[in-house]
Amino acid sequence: MAIIERSITSTEALVSATPSSSLGALKRPVATTGWKSWLFTVDHKKLGIMYSATALFFFIVGGIEAVLIRLQLAAPNGKVLNADLYNQMFTMHATTMVFLFVMPMAAGLANYFIPLQIGARDVAFPRINAFSFWALLFGGIFLNLSWFLGGAADGGWFMYAPNSGPIFSPSHGIDFWILGLQLAGIASLAGAVNLITTVLNMRAPGMKLMRMPIFTWMQLVVQFLLLFAVPVITVALFLLSFQRNFGATFFDVSAGADPLLWQHLFWIFGHPEVYILILPSFGIISEVLPVFSRKPLFGYPFVVFSGAAIGFVGWGVWAHHMFASGLGPVSVAVFSISTMAIAVPTGVKIVNWTMTIWGGKLQFTVAMKFAVGLIVLFTIGGLSGVTHSVAPSDTQQTDTYYIVAHFHYVLFGGAVFGLFSGFYYWWPKVFGKLLNEKLGTWNFWMMVIGMNMTFGPMHILGLQGQPRRMYQWTEARAGEGFFNLAFWNRFASIGSLVLTTGVLLFLINVVITARNGKVAPLDPWDARSLEWMTSNPPKEHNFDSIPTVSHLDEFFHRKYEEDANGQMVKVKTAEQIMKELEDNADAHIHMPSPSYWPIVLAAGLPVIAFGVIYSIPIAIFGGVIVLFGAYGWAIEPSTAPDDDFDPPATTKDVVHVG
Amino acid sequence: MFSTGSKYFFGISFLGAISFAIYMFLIGESAIGATALLGLVVATGLLTALTLTTRDGAKDEDGVAASTAAPTGSIWPLIAAVGATLLLVGTITSPVVTLFGIVALLAALIEWTVLSWSERASSDVSYNASLRKRLLNPIEFPVLAAVGLGVVIFSFSRITLAVNKSVGATAFIVLGSLVLASGVLFSIRPNLKRGLVTAICVIGAVGIVAAGIAGAGAGVREELVLAQEEGHYVHQECGAEKSEYFDKLPLGGVSASASVAAHIDLVDGKLIATVQGIAGEQQSITVPRSNPTNIVFRNKSDGEYRLVANLGSKMVTDGVKEDVVQCTQLIPQGSDQMLTLNIPKPAVAGKPFTLTVPGLAGQSIEVIVP
Amino acid sequence: MRRRVIGAVSGIATTMFLAGCATNAPQDTWKPKGPNAKIIDNLQKPVFAVAGIIGVIVTAVVITAVIKFRDKGQPIPHQSHGNPALEITLTIIPALILTVVGVFTFRTVFDLAKTSDTEMIINVTGQQWWWEYDYPVQNEYGITQPIITSGQLVIPAGTKVLLRETSRDVIHSYWIPALNGKRDAVPGRVHLNRIEADKPGIYAGQCTEFCGLSHANMRMEAIALSKADFAKWVANQLKPYTSPAENTLAKEGEAVFMNQCTRCHQVNGMKRADGTPVIAAPDENIVSGAAPNLSHLMSRNTFAGATFDLLNKTCRKEVWGADSESFGAKYLSGVSEDCLNQTDLRGWLRNAPGMKPMYSNPALLASTGGKYRGMPNLGLTESDIEKLVAYLLTLK
Repeated sequence: MAIIERSITSTEALVSATPSSSLGALKRPVATTGWKSWLFTVDHKKLGIMYSATALFFFIVGGIEAVLIRLQLAAPNGKVLNADLYNQMFTMHATTMVFLFVMPMAAGLANYFIPLQIGARDVAFPRINAFSFWALLFGGIFLNLSWFLGGAADGGWFMYAPNSGPIFSPSHGIDFWILGLQLAGIASLAGAVNLITTVLNMRAPGMKLMRMPIFTWMQLVVQFLLLFAVPVITVALFLLSFQRNFGATFFDVSAGADPLLWQHLFWIFGHPEVYILILPSFGIISEVLPVFSRKPLFGYPFVVFSGAAIGFVGWGVWAHHMFASGLGPVSVAVFSISTMAIAVPTGVKIVNWTMTIWGGKLQFTVAMKFAVGLIVLFTIGGLSGVTHSVAPSDTQQTDTYYIVAHFHYVLFGGAVFGLFSGFYYWWPKVFGKLLNEKLGTWNFWMMVIGMNMTFGPMHILGLQGQPRRMYQWTEARAGEGFFNLAFWNRFASIGSLVLTTGVLLFLINVVITARNGKVAPLDPWDARSLEWMTSNPPKEHNFDSIPTVSHLDEFFHRKYEEDANGQMVKVKTAEQIMKELEDNADAHIHMPSPSYWPIVLAAGLPVIAFGVIYSIPIAIFGGVIVLFGAYGWAIEPSTAPDDDFDPPATTKDVVHVG
Repeated sequence: MFSTGSKYFFGISFLGAISFAIYMFLIGESAIGATALLGLVVATGLLTALTLTTRDGAKDEDGVAASTAAPTGSIWPLIAAVGATLLLVGTITSPVVTLFGIVALLAALIEWTVLSWSERASSDVSYNASLRKRLLNPIEFPVLAAVGLGVVIFSFSRITLAVNKSVGATAFIVLGSLVLASGVLFSIRPNLKRGLVTAICVIGAVGIVAAGIAGAGAGVREELVLAQEEGHYVHQECGAEKSEYFDKLPLGGVSASASVAAHIDLVDGKLIATVQGIAGEQQSITVPRSNPTNIVFRNKSDGEYRLVANLGSKMVTDGVKEDVVQCTQLIPQGSDQMLTLNIPKPAVAGKPFTLTVPGLAGQSIEVIVP
Repeated sequence: MRRRVIGAVSGIATTMFLAGCATNAPQDTWKPKGPNAKIIDNLQKPVFAVAGIIGVIVTAVVITAVIKFRDKGQPIPHQSHGNPALEITLTIIPALILTVVGVFTFRTVFDLAKTSDTEMIINVTGQQWWWEYDYPVQNEYGITQPIITSGQLVIPAGTKVLLRETSRDVIHSYWIPALNGKRDAVPGRVHLNRIEADKPGIYAGQCTEFCGLSHANMRMEAIALSKADFAKWVANQLKPYTSPAENTLAKEGEAVFMNQCTRCHQVNGMKRADGTPVIAAPDENIVSGAAPNLSHLMSRNTFAGATFDLLNKTCRKEVWGADSESFGAKYLSGVSEDCLNQTDLRGWLRNAPGMKPMYSNPALLASTGGKYRGMPNLGLTESDIEKLVAYLLTLK
């Protein structure tokens, strides 16, 4: 597996090494265009795009669910949804946004940009990469099929036992939820192993860990978090699965169990998960802010180590989700303190971003606007987080809308704004066209206003005692006066429509750009990191020759040098640097061949899942598909043979790298 | 590579398998239909194998001359013969033997097919051998590894069942350390001779398997036999006789550390209740109706006692009433037992529910079910 | 432009927030009415203030930077990689602030967990979707035999009450914001939660752990009465059962009740014609194994998990709006025929799951062995309902 490259034996001009035909099942597919080139691809860039497209689709699905929730709550005794449907809606909204939007979107960006940022030609295990994507896509589809097969999961995304047991949730919704998440979990685990190996082993010469772009760093931390957090939820889901389908009693009190076991397992996963969601966005804006401030990231090592510190301390705070669960004062006090401790490295990041723009030469492109928006909105979310790290105060706030407000400021104002910043920043890199800045500005302001209108009032709602997860609220508990809870509920619902408009503007922007967007120059933002040292979009092999890295912000330092007065002056253009790389192009770069098997193997997984729910023979059939896929994977040649290439290879030497 | 005929039969076989799955899912009732479809799958599977092996009867294909080298020795005819014998023997002895026979036959079928197919793939013998490996190693290695591990694990289970509990634990530790030590040795001496490494592994495996066979011969240890005879698996706490095998550390469970509503202590011949959240010693405990409630009995008196919960009576059949009692095990001083009470109805007036200790008159704790 | 927008937005936000806090919500977490909630309030108000100040500072710095350093053609700044001294200072300051907060948090957590000075104990059991309160025998309050009630928790004001919480099915959470923070009721476990009300009054609450279909309808109220009034309440709860007079509508209602309702609902002291006591068997019909005990139903103001008022709008307003002196008398007068919320009670008897979503669809009972979760539609006739209402009104 891994990347296979011919040894460089000739100095002839770059030869395209793309297979042109395929022969039989044992050969690898060779299509470079058309649907086959996407279905069987192992190219990290294509997979990155597919990941992101999938995520964007589920973002729309989750967004529709959110709007339905807000419509239901716009007026007292809402009648838009019934209780059952509402419970499914908020469960699936959270599940979709967490597992099927933010995580895959971050994975998509990681897939696309990590190899580019570290100067590699692909990830370490390209076929596993493809498998991860398909497993995620099938998992997401499987999860959402429950809507059409008797109703979705209705236990909340936290799925507390025993309410998630077969007695209390007799439909198959939770079974679909469990198995769908298992599939997504397989995808995350495989992806994590892949990206960790890639980052640790495949960096360009000279790129020490402390010269790595900060986005790659944050993604590395995230992948480690995934590697250790996903197994925990996998175990928990297995326990629940056995309880629901095979009569186990892991959470059954009359059999001597303790239902709090589920909460511990869930939150030991669930809390690191929060950092899995937010750190990629931290990475993105740590790239964007320096570029548009024309300054390096302030305190790069501090940002790196605070990210790693968040990754570590994130494991010691899970019980702050359980301050009201009755853990006893000692646990509560300890977890309260450790939760406050994690605010420190998070604060460090905010300080560093602020200091990065301080004294800079700021250009307010849309990407920059989203990044600065993140600093402010995330700070609000972070500070409301500190208020309920104080455990006694949390017992008043937990499970109220105050918490909803808190984590939407963190996850929407933080994670989602970071991702949007990334969209605008990297769009020209991926598609070669610039997203419309004017429309983007509208998009940004609509989202800022909409998000504050939607989630801002929730602070008030929560502090004035409106609990979460209620399908209706009554006027009896809404208080009096003009600014009563009814007013704020209505206000938030209107805000959600403004927010929706903002997101729609983005989608319109995408369509307009695709139709007649401005073709992006080679280096539209005067950027700093390696991913910009190649064409837009990058060639299949990323770099004509692998650059040797001697600086953090390598690209910037190739373009700019200090003159005698200590002023930074441009010494080279991006085009000149590209030309240099092209002139030294490696001969005969051999990229990993596409493969049939990742999608076959992944397709077996949802079949097994269906079987677990409906009938064991189907599960066996799915198992056969998986085995068949694994067998095909094992016997397929490690690359398409030379005859498949056009023009035929000049040498038979094949060197396995990595 | 693959002949047209084999692709055709494989296609039918594959479609048959899919229809079988769909059929089982949608209809699933009729055994005839299932048998017919499965028969189709098996038959076309065999035909696939046949056409593959003979390359549709063509002598050569696309100008590639089949190898003229003499075929190498093969173990598969022997295994096929043994398999067939086992299959027949199984029909008069035990189905397990038949199963082994089928497995051996299947393995021989696949291996033989691929072997003979690969031997005629080209004129290059070594290329043909690599082709065989390429196709079969992905199956052989996992299967052999699973079988090997299975044998070792099964053998080890026989050993631990046969020997004394503490000896078993010691053996496990020693063996684990040995495995770890060998692992360390192999990693710090990567240039160790291949033969030596193999020898160490083989000796280890053979040792365990031999001990396992010996263990299986010796049978399970007496303690377990006794426990089984005594009916260890059916709870007979309230019986007159004393149980020997029961959970002696009930508070070691996850839930017991946090989910205890009340402790019932037997101190110097007196029964005392302490209830979570209520200061002082109590003479009654409140148990909400229909709510599983854990209480812990701690024997702090000299002698062996058990706690009995007398929970009134219930109608078994019309007119026949049976007393409802729940008991802990008989435990010595310093031990404890957990009892989960789940009482559906309040007591009848004048006949309160109580917790008592047989052999101690006048000591009881009232269980109030409001 | 940007500056004005941000200024306007933050200005509007601040005004709105302050104005928003001026309402009179019954579950307001910032209006403590008892010592436990006040302990929390004393801790959280300064924390909110500190968080608010830091938030304003960070926002101000960011806005300043945005205005001051926007690209006006200045040269590319020096490529400095940071300032470790500044960095460390700005790490230590928040750490110090949090340490101070942490110390006070630590103390408060243990203050709130203190139970040694408990003056009264009430067992609280949650189930889908209502709360049961059981007062164990406590002679000092005149509770000479256990009292069982539901929906409204009646406590003496100025008394340290310890709630021993548990659950019969899924996890619920008991929360009366004015009296204390929330505490989960977990099956198999007993969790302690102490509350105390300074003054007589009615304090609203809501189950706050998602507990299934009708989670939104699982409400409760704490009723604090003066000690004298509480004694009267206890005496009323211990009053023996009196069957309605013969040949009244209520007497016929008793027969309907005995026939239809006592499978699940207990009325203490109720006897059949042959003199045997009527014992309900909710464990045979309901998943949680319990249904509200309806003895002295009309001494409560709400029914069906405090989802609906037993009092009609006018009478409800009088009780909820009463000041602390007159509250006790008004509450103790209970529900008379004039005050009864006929619409909801009749609607409930007609088709309970139609008013409050409950898993009582017979098609969905396979997984529970035929047991209901919540009250099913009993298919009562209008005349039965008429009789039942008359009977229920006698359960004072």
